[in-house]
Amino acid sequence: METINNLLQTLNNLFLIIAAAIRGLFPDPLSIWANLTLNVINVIMIIIIIVLNILVLAILERKVASWVGQRVGPNRLGPHGWLQTIADGLKLMGKEDIIPAGVDKFIYKIAPMFIFSLPIMALAVIPFGKGMAPLDLDLGIFYFLAMSSIATLAFFMGGWASNNKYSLLGGMRAVAQMISYEIPLLFSLLGVVMITQSFNLGVIVEAQSKIPFIFLQPLGFVIFMIAGMAEANRAPFDLLEGEQEIVAGPFTEYSGLRHGLFWLGEYSNLLAMSALVATVFLGGWQGPGFFPGWLWFWLKVGIIIFFTMWARWTFPRIRIDHLMHLAWKVLLPLSILNILLTGLGIYIYRLVMGG
Amino acid sequence: MFGKGLLKGLGITLKHMVGPKVTEFYPEEKPKLSVRVRSSMGLHPDKCISCNMCAMACPNKVIKLTSEKDENNKKRLKTYEMDVGRCLFCGMCAEACPTQAITVTQEYENSVYEVEDMKWDMIARAERKGKEG
Amino acid sequence: MTIDNTQELVLNMGPQHPSMHGLFRMVVHLQGETVTKIIPKVGYLHRGMEKLAESRTYAQFIPYTDRLDYLASPHNNWAYVQTVEKLMNVEIPERAEYLRVIFGELARIASHYIMIASTSLDFGGSTPWFYFFRDRERILDLFEMTAGSRLTVNIMRIGGMSAEPPEEFWPALQSFLDDMPGMIEEYYGIFFGNEIAQARLKGVGILSKELAENLSITGPCLRASGVNYDVRKAEPYSIYDRFDFNVPVRTGCDSYDRTMIRMDEIVESVKIIRQAARDIPQGPIMAKVPKVIKPPAGEVYHRVENPKGELGFYIVSDGTTKPARVRIRAGSFINLQALPIVGAGWKIQDVIAIFATLDAVLGEVDK
Repeated sequence: METINNLLQTLNNLFLIIAAAIRGLFPDPLSIWANLTLNVINVIMIIIIIVLNILVLAILERKVASWVGQRVGPNRLGPHGWLQTIADGLKLMGKEDIIPAGVDKFIYKIAPMFIFSLPIMALAVIPFGKGMAPLDLDLGIFYFLAMSSIATLAFFMGGWASNNKYSLLGGMRAVAQMISYEIPLLFSLLGVVMITQSFNLGVIVEAQSKIPFIFLQPLGFVIFMIAGMAEANRAPFDLLEGEQEIVAGPFTEYSGLRHGLFWLGEYSNLLAMSALVATVFLGGWQGPGFFPGWLWFWLKVGIIIFFTMWARWTFPRIRIDHLMHLAWKVLLPLSILNILLTGLGIYIYRLVMGG
Repeated sequence: MFGKGLLKGLGITLKHMVGPKVTEFYPEEKPKLSVRVRSSMGLHPDKCISCNMCAMACPNKVIKLTSEKDENNKKRLKTYEMDVGRCLFCGMCAEACPTQAITVTQEYENSVYEVEDMKWDMIARAERKGKEG
Repeated sequence: MTIDNTQELVLNMGPQHPSMHGLFRMVVHLQGETVTKIIPKVGYLHRGMEKLAESRTYAQFIPYTDRLDYLASPHNNWAYVQTVEKLMNVEIPERAEYLRVIFGELARIASHYIMIASTSLDFGGSTPWFYFFRDRERILDLFEMTAGSRLTVNIMRIGGMSAEPPEEFWPALQSFLDDMPGMIEEYYGIFFGNEIAQARLKGVGILSKELAENLSITGPCLRASGVNYDVRKAEPYSIYDRFDFNVPVRTGCDSYDRTMIRMDEIVESVKIIRQAARDIPQGPIMAKVPKVIKPPAGEVYHRVENPKGELGFYIVSDGTTKPARVRIRAGSFINLQALPIVGAGWKIQDVIAIFATLDAVLGEVDK
């Protein structure tokens, strides 16, 4: 019994032990060189997480799409086809890099780099386990949402610089959609911030040790899921790449690895949104003791991603004016109502408990 | 309640996700085609009486046959060529034949790499098929 | 400062496009996301069928008619063969008539399945597409058993049918008809009952009654605008006057009604097939026609109710074995002229929905 407890404790703190060991290699464990080394290692770990995520998500999406249609997805490469993404990646790398004449070369080239690097920056504040946030900011949620908003600019850069009318239409739809859904996204998180009185993601996870916030804030959860799917350009809100109308929108003129970077960015965005939902509403790394904390985190992220894919392959696409109507006339009043109800709830709770 | 249709849709897709699959795994499982499928043509040279009905029935002039008279002054088949690149696979030649010499067969793996290979010599194909059994 | 100095965007939705139902090209003028003018350009699938018909005999032309509206090929065969029989005054046996009705109505169901599946695919929902195609496979298996081919069936001849269905045809047909109510339940759950799909279809693309009559639109698009006109009841051909069925008519005039009316027609077709399979007599399937078909000189026009509209053949014969002129009046070609008029003023996504519900097959449009 003791040994099992010890084993579980070690597994739980595995990465902290490794970090302390690396710090111990330096003569002064708190010097600037030790911090720098650890930060570089953190960034590399996040990039590895993102790449592993792509490897799994690209094939998972195709598999879920096939299961819904009573087929078996790709089943040739690897056991039952689960290594398909490696072949896709190699194929994209081997393609010719075509840059059409008449594009704005600088902006055309850096748009995919933006899309890929923003989720890396955003994922840096999420606590993957107890005390395991690579960057422990006091303004965690604020920083996260700020990084997600810059993605709007990147889509528009891709659309404008491509010198193509389809891309321009796609870029303008991107700006309209992503700006409109930022506001319900922010407001639905304000309820949680009001309860915990802090923006720090580590504190928010600690505050859910008794009861996850999904039970205290059901309306906020629903609004955040809908607005999050819209921000990540997933169906039913994927007008951006509405293949049947504007043939891949801002990504039309990209080929080869640049196109691949866009897809990487889209799945990383999805991962970032799911990670935030798991942290803020579902309790982060907390869970019963038989699994280490960081495993619980990935289980919860996996459930949210599966739900997103399930919703994508069931619903058709929504029209652009219905999209705007939903954001401004339905979600925004509901999120303000959520703030009101949370405020009332906190007041009554203080009255009952304090007095 | 708004959204009831959406939830019902989610239920249907979940039911199909865990249910059986309906696709065939070609090329491990070959499909069983029915007897009348018109995917290819086959000739029985010994039944052919060189009446030319098949060539006249064909809409696209695909069949060319030549014949010669043998010792009993009966017509015998010499060459029989089909330009399958122009064939519609409509089966009218098989319908028109009075002795069932040309029939439809169920071979469907007929792709070739060169354009010239699309002119089939039907007598050679019949012999090859006969050898393979 | 006014905002009058915006420019209209001219977008070419070209022949290579993921949702153009074939090789169709449209040039749209856009003001933001709103379409102001549509110019359709057809002709990318032109194969010269009417000219080809002048160098083929009457019986040799039947496989070519399959390829007109390739999604419902028994109807094309039927229209052509009945026109020639009208010219030659041939009576065909009863069993052949019943078999023709069964195959025609099965093709109607298959064609409506594809229309609704393509509409759903254009909206971005690719799973209903799979469910419709999975059920269409059963109809194609029935065709394959009898005729030998799934899509271009070539099953009707001048004077009757070419082949008798085998024995496994009738139980397979019965099981397909019995499974139909369950399948329709599923379609309602996955596509029609979905609020997103309903919001995209309701009130979009109003084709008013006067406009439909003035443009000579036929088929389900006309009946969804409130006009009760069906060639099967107005000028009954074959043995349609013996069957008991209704013609569904809806008055909404929008895309939702144009889609739902096809589901109603599927239910009616199932009724007709049940009656035909119950009443079919035994007997020959081919009448006594001469080997070489030489109709008397003259001209004749005959029309049938295609799933897309009214399909008519006008044949001029000069007494030889080859026709002098064959003119095909295709329903999709006439229906397509409604697109620039109905589509102006809506958003791009609505234009895609309107084009999908007008149900044009480019094989018929371009011949």
